[in-house]
Amino acid sequence: MNVNLTIDGVPVSVPKGTWLVEAAKTVQQEIPVYCYHTKLGPAGLCRVCLVDIEGMPKLQIACNTPAAEGMVVRTRGARVEAGRAMILELLLVNHPLDCPICDKGGECDLQDYAMAYARGNSDVVDPKTRKPKAVDLGPTIVLDEERCVVCQRCVRFDDIIADERQLVVKDRGAHDIIATATGSPYRHNFTGNVTELCPVGALTSKTYRFKSRPWDLNRTQTTCTQCAVGCQQFADVRYGTLLRTMSVENDDAISDGWLCDRGRYNIGFYASPDRLTQPLYRKGGSFVQIGWDDAFALWGKAITDAIAAKGTPSVGAIGGGRLTNEEAYVLQYLFRKIGVANLDWRSGRQRQATPGANGGALTDIELAQAIVIAGESIEERAPVLWLRVRKAALRGGATVVHAATPAEAVAALPAGATRVALVWDGIDLARGRAFADAFAGVAELSTYVASEQGNARGAEAMGMLPWSGPGYAAARARGRDAAGMFEDARNGSLAVLSMFGVNPVRNAADGAAVAQALVKVPFVVVSELFLTETADRATLVLPAKGAFEKTGTTLNLAGDLLPVNAAVQAPDGVLSDLEMLLGLAAQLDVDLPRAEELDATVIEHMAHAPEDFGFGDSRFASDVASVPEDVPPATILSGGGTWRHDPTLATLQVETPSSQPVGATA
Amino acid sequence: MPVTKVLTAGIGEADLRNIDVYRERGGYRQWERAVRELKPGDVLDLAEKSGLRGRGGAGFPTGKKWSFLPAEKPLRYLVCNCDEAEPGTFKDHMLIAEAPHLVLEGILLGSYGIECHHAFIYIRGEFKRGYEIFSAALDEARKAGFVGDDLFGSGFNLEVTVQRGAGAYICGEETGLLNSLEGKRGEPRLKPPFPAIEGLYGMPTVVNNVETLAYLVPILEKGAEWFASVGTERSKGYKIVSVSGHVQRPGNYEVALGTTVREIIDIAGGLRPGRNLMAVQPGGGSSACIFEEQLDLPYDYENMAKAGSMLGSGAFVVFDDSTDFVKAAHNLVRFFAHESCGQCTPCREGGHWLERVLERLVHGRGVSGDYEMLLRVSGGITGLNLCALGDSIEPFLKSVLLRFPEQFRARVLKAKETVPV
Amino acid sequence: MTRERDFPELLERVTPECLRIIARYEEKRSALLMLAHVFQEHEGFVSPEAVLAISEMVGITPAETEGTISFYTLLYRRPVGKYMLQPCRGLACAINGAEDAMAYFREKLGTSNLETTLDGLVSYEEVECLAACDRAPCMQVNLEFVYDLSPAKIDELLAGIRAGTYPVKAMAQTDPPGRTWEIRQDDQVSTGRKAPGATGVESPNNAGGVGDKSGTIMLDKIINRDVEFFRETRERAVLDSRAVVESVEEGREEAEHARH
Repeated sequence: MNVNLTIDGVPVSVPKGTWLVEAAKTVQQEIPVYCYHTKLGPAGLCRVCLVDIEGMPKLQIACNTPAAEGMVVRTRGARVEAGRAMILELLLVNHPLDCPICDKGGECDLQDYAMAYARGNSDVVDPKTRKPKAVDLGPTIVLDEERCVVCQRCVRFDDIIADERQLVVKDRGAHDIIATATGSPYRHNFTGNVTELCPVGALTSKTYRFKSRPWDLNRTQTTCTQCAVGCQQFADVRYGTLLRTMSVENDDAISDGWLCDRGRYNIGFYASPDRLTQPLYRKGGSFVQIGWDDAFALWGKAITDAIAAKGTPSVGAIGGGRLTNEEAYVLQYLFRKIGVANLDWRSGRQRQATPGANGGALTDIELAQAIVIAGESIEERAPVLWLRVRKAALRGGATVVHAATPAEAVAALPAGATRVALVWDGIDLARGRAFADAFAGVAELSTYVASEQGNARGAEAMGMLPWSGPGYAAARARGRDAAGMFEDARNGSLAVLSMFGVNPVRNAADGAAVAQALVKVPFVVVSELFLTETADRATLVLPAKGAFEKTGTTLNLAGDLLPVNAAVQAPDGVLSDLEMLLGLAAQLDVDLPRAEELDATVIEHMAHAPEDFGFGDSRFASDVASVPEDVPPATILSGGGTWRHDPTLATLQVETPSSQPVGATA
Repeated sequence: MPVTKVLTAGIGEADLRNIDVYRERGGYRQWERAVRELKPGDVLDLAEKSGLRGRGGAGFPTGKKWSFLPAEKPLRYLVCNCDEAEPGTFKDHMLIAEAPHLVLEGILLGSYGIECHHAFIYIRGEFKRGYEIFSAALDEARKAGFVGDDLFGSGFNLEVTVQRGAGAYICGEETGLLNSLEGKRGEPRLKPPFPAIEGLYGMPTVVNNVETLAYLVPILEKGAEWFASVGTERSKGYKIVSVSGHVQRPGNYEVALGTTVREIIDIAGGLRPGRNLMAVQPGGGSSACIFEEQLDLPYDYENMAKAGSMLGSGAFVVFDDSTDFVKAAHNLVRFFAHESCGQCTPCREGGHWLERVLERLVHGRGVSGDYEMLLRVSGGITGLNLCALGDSIEPFLKSVLLRFPEQFRARVLKAKETVPV
Repeated sequence: MTRERDFPELLERVTPECLRIIARYEEKRSALLMLAHVFQEHEGFVSPEAVLAISEMVGITPAETEGTISFYTLLYRRPVGKYMLQPCRGLACAINGAEDAMAYFREKLGTSNLETTLDGLVSYEEVECLAACDRAPCMQVNLEFVYDLSPAKIDELLAGIRAGTYPVKAMAQTDPPGRTWEIRQDDQVSTGRKAPGATGVESPNNAGGVGDKSGTIMLDKIINRDVEFFRETRERAVLDSRAVVESVEEGREEAEHARH
C-alpha cells in the first residue's frame, strides 16, 4: 500500500512504512546520514538526518520516521539547517581535523557534510580529547579512534550482516571507542567491508593506507574472479598500480553490496616483481628467456610434430576455470579445429560446475526456508554466497543444514519446507547425485555449485569438457579428461600438453603423481602469472595477463553473465591467453572466429545450462575410476580459487604474530 | 498542609522488612483480595480512575500506560524501575530498603493489572543492601505463597526476578533499563517501537517506578476516589518528596500534590539561620531551577511545568546564598556527561564540551564568548537527542545562566589575558 | 593475603550458582550483569578468564561481554583495593561540604580520583549521586553507606580500615592492583601499538593540526564568501601564532635549563 506525502513541496508516493530518508531519495533530495545505511537500517545515533515535519514540535530524524499519509516534510529551511549545523559542529569538537593525512580525505562524509551544512568556524578553545590512533585492529584494518564518530555501522555490520560480533563499543559517553575483545585481532572473511561502511577515516585498510588520494584514482567496474560468485567491484588504479577494490553498492543481485577479504585484498600480486614477463624455454636443466615469436614457433611445431607422429590423442589442453568465456571458447575451438579432443578444465578435484535443471539465482537463497550445504564449507569456497546464506538465516529465519548424508539433511529440514536451496562443492559426483535425488521432491528447489575457480561454469558452457562443446552440445569425438591425460602422460603416450591458468601439481587430488607424469611429457606448455609448481615443470612457460588486465566475460555460479574489464595495464611483454591462442592459431593455420561471432549474445546463448542434467550427472564422470577418498581438504584461500595467484607470493603481509597472511597456506 | 504518611507509614517505627510485621499491618491483603475477588481489568480501572501518574520522572498516567499493551499479545512483562540515580532523589532507595514488602505487593498488583506472569525489578547496583533486603523479602513472600504458581488456588502464576544494576544512570531510562536487563549495554533504544509494543525480549512491556507501583496498594485498599480526592486537578494523590540541600531537616516527606513549594521548604525545617534562598531545583538534576517569586506555586506536575521546570522524580534541592552556581552547573553537567551512554552525537559531544568549558570557568579561566557558547550549545543540543538524557543538560544550566549571569561573567579572564589555554 | 588464583577451581565452585541465576531469566544473556557480580565478588574484579567464562555461559562473544561490562562503572576490569571508598560528588552533597571531604580523602590517602593506594588496600573513586542526599555528604565503603562525613569520621574510617577493625567486609583480592583500575584512553595513546604506516610518527595529529587549536575548518567557499568569518579567522590566527611563539620560547628555556 502506498502513502502520499510531500517532500520539499514535491508530491511523493512510496510504500507505507518507507523511511523518510529513502523516500527523499525518490525525489533526488539528499538527506545526510552517518549511522543510517540502507542495508543496516536505522540506528538513530548520529542525529544528522534531521528534517522538519509539519505538525511536529521538534525536528525529526528521517532515518527512523516512516512516511505517512499527508505528511509534509521539509529537508531544508532555517530550522533544519540550524539543527544539522549544530550536529556537525559537535562532531568536529573532538575530531582531529587531520584531513591532510587522512586516507578518507576527498571521499569523506564528514568533510562533505561539513562543507555543505556546518558553520565553518567553531567556539572550541579547549584541547581535543585524545584517543588511540593507528590501532592495529587485525590483519587487515587500522582504526583511528579520534576520527571515529561512533555511528556503529561497523559494529552493526559485524552483528547483523557478518554474524561475527567481534567489533563492539567499549566504555561510554565521550570516551567510548570501537574495539575487539582484548587481545583478539579483528579477523574474519569480511572485515574489509567496514572500511567502506565507515563514513569517516576511522577504519582504513592496511593495503591502502597512505597510498593515494581518491581523486588520483582511475576507477573501472569489473567482476571479481577470485571465486565463482562473481561480485561486482570497482578497481581503483593510481598511476598504473591497482591500489584497491571497492564494492558496488547497488549490486544486489550478485554481491548484495559486500566483498570478501579475498576479493578485496588479494590484489597486490598484480604488481609483484616476481611476475613472469617473458616466455621461458627449458634448455638443458634450466630456463632461458626467449621472444614471443620463438615461443609460438616452438609451441606450434611441437603440436604439429606430435599429431604427425602419434596422432591427435597425443595432444591435450587443460584450462578454462580462470579464463574468460571468450578465451575458453577460443581454446577449445582452436584445439578441436585441429582434431584434438583431449580438452578439460577440471585440473583439480572438482568434477562439475553446472547445476543443471534447478539452478537458481543468488537472490533465491534469501527466499529459501532451508539451505543445505552438501560437501565442503562454502564459507571459504564462495564467501559472499555464505554471507547471503547468513542473511537468509538471520533475517529470513532459514535453517542452514550441514549434513554428511542426504538422509541427515532431510531429517534436519523444517517441517513442510517447500523452498530449499542446495549448495554442493561439485567434487564427489555420487554424493552430489544422492543429495539431488533426496531433494527431488521439493517444490521449489534451487541448486548451486560453489566452484573453486571463478569461471568454472563458463569453461563448461564454452565447451572445455572432453564430451561437450559450446553450449553443452555433445562433442563429435569424446576425448580424455584431465585425469585421463595425466594417465596418458604417465604411460608416455601424451606428447604435448598445454595448460592455461591451472596448477594441478598443487591442486589435483594426487599432485605428486601429476608432477611425475609431467616429466614424461616431451612438451609441456604452461600459461601463468608466476612460476608455479606446474610451470616449473614445463618446457615452455608463457607469461599471462590477470583478470584486472584484460577484457571479456565470465559466468558465475548462478549462471549470470558478467563483464570483466581491464582496469590496469599489464607489464610489458605479457599477453592474455586470447592473444597467445591467436599466436598459436597463426602457427597452426587456423582461422579463429571473428569478434562478432563471439559477442555477448552468442556467449549468453551458450551459457544456458541444459535442463536434462543435475548434480552428479554421469556425463561429468571421470575416465579414471574415482576420486580418492582420503583427499585432504583444499586450502581454498591458498590458490585453488584465486586468480592464478601463487600463495607464496601473497602480498598482504600480516603483522599480528599469531595470524597468517590472507592467502597464506598451511 | 502537613505531611501525610501513606507509603511512608510505619517506616522508622516498625520493622517492615519482616513479613509478619508487614502482614499484621494489613500487608498482602490487597494482593490476596485482588487475586481472589478482582479481575485484572478492575485493577487497571482503579489505576486509571485514581489519576495515578508515574512517579519516576515523566509523570505519565499509569493506567493509560498499561492500556497501550496490545490485547492480542498475551505474553508481556512488568518491570519495576528501581534504578534511582537522578541527582537529589532518594525515595525508592528508602522504600526498597525499609518497606520491601510494600514494593513487592505493588509489583504483584501491577502484574495482575496487566496480566503478566513474569515481573522484574531492576535495582541500582549501588543499592547492594537494598538488593539483599528485597531478595530476602521476595523469598519470604514466596514461602508464604504470595509469589509462584497457582496463587491462592486461582490458577494465576506470577514469578518475580530481581536484577542488580552495575553503575549506570542511563539504565533508569526505560529502554536503557530493558537493554541492561537483557544483559546488554544500557543504551536507550530508538523509539518507536515503544516498550508497550516491543519491550523486554521484544514483547510488550510496562516499566513502572517503585513509588508508582507501591501506591497501587493503598489505592486498592482505600479506593480510587480516596486517592483522586487529594491533589490538584490533573495531579492526583500523594508524592514522596526528597528534600535536600540547604534546609535544616533534609529527608523524604510524603505530601499531597499541590502543597506549595514554600510549604515543602518549611516542612523540611526551612533554611539555615541567616541564609537567604537563591533557588530551588524541584524535580531532580534534569529540572530547571525556580526562584523566590515562584515559591507559592503548588507543587504539582502542571504548575512546575508552567514555571519552566518539572516535578520529575520529586527530588527537591534547595540552594541558599552560599551556593556557587558555576560550580553547581559544572557539577550537574559533569554528571550528565559522565552518565551519557555515548550513542548519539549531541549528548556525547555536547555534554562533554559543556563540561570542559564549565570546568575552565570553575577555575576562573573563562574566555570571552564562553557565556554565550554555554547558552547556545546547551540550547542547541536540546531536542536533538535519542533519549531524554541529552535534553536534561540544558534546564538547570540555562536557568542559572540567565538568573546569575554575573557569577559566570566573573570567571572570564580580562581581555588582555585571553590566550587560549 | 594469598595471591593465589585458581580460576578453574573457582569456576567449578560458582557454576551451580551461575546456572541458577541464568534460569531466572527468559534469555541467557540477561544474566550477564549478575554473573559479572558473582565473579567480581570472588575475584575482586571481572578477570579476563571470567569474561570468557561468562561469554560461554550465556552464549555471546567475549567482545560483547567486554563491551557490556565496560559500560558499567561498578564492574572493574582490573584489580582494585580491598576497600573501595566512594564518596558522593553529587550536587546535594557538593553544596554540603563534599568537596572538603573529598580533598581530605585525597590528602589522607595520597591518591587522586580513580586510584588505588600503593599498598593495594584502598581504592578511591568519587562517584555520582548515591541517593542519600538527606545525609550529605555521604559515601559508600564496599557499597555500604557512610553518612554525614566529617574529618573526624574519615580519620576513624581510615584508621579502622588500616587496623583491620572496620566493620565492613573487605573485598576479595586475587591479583595485586595497579595504580588505577581504569583503562584510560590516554595510556593507549602513548603506549598503544601503532599500526604499520604510522611507525615513527610521534603523533599523527600534529601533521594536520598545527595552529588549529580552535578547530576552525578552512573551507574555501566560506573564506571567499564570508568576510566576517575571514576576519574572525585572522584575529584568531594572530592570537594563536603568539601563543605558539610563546610556547616555543618556553620550551627552549626549559631545554636550556635542563642542559645546565
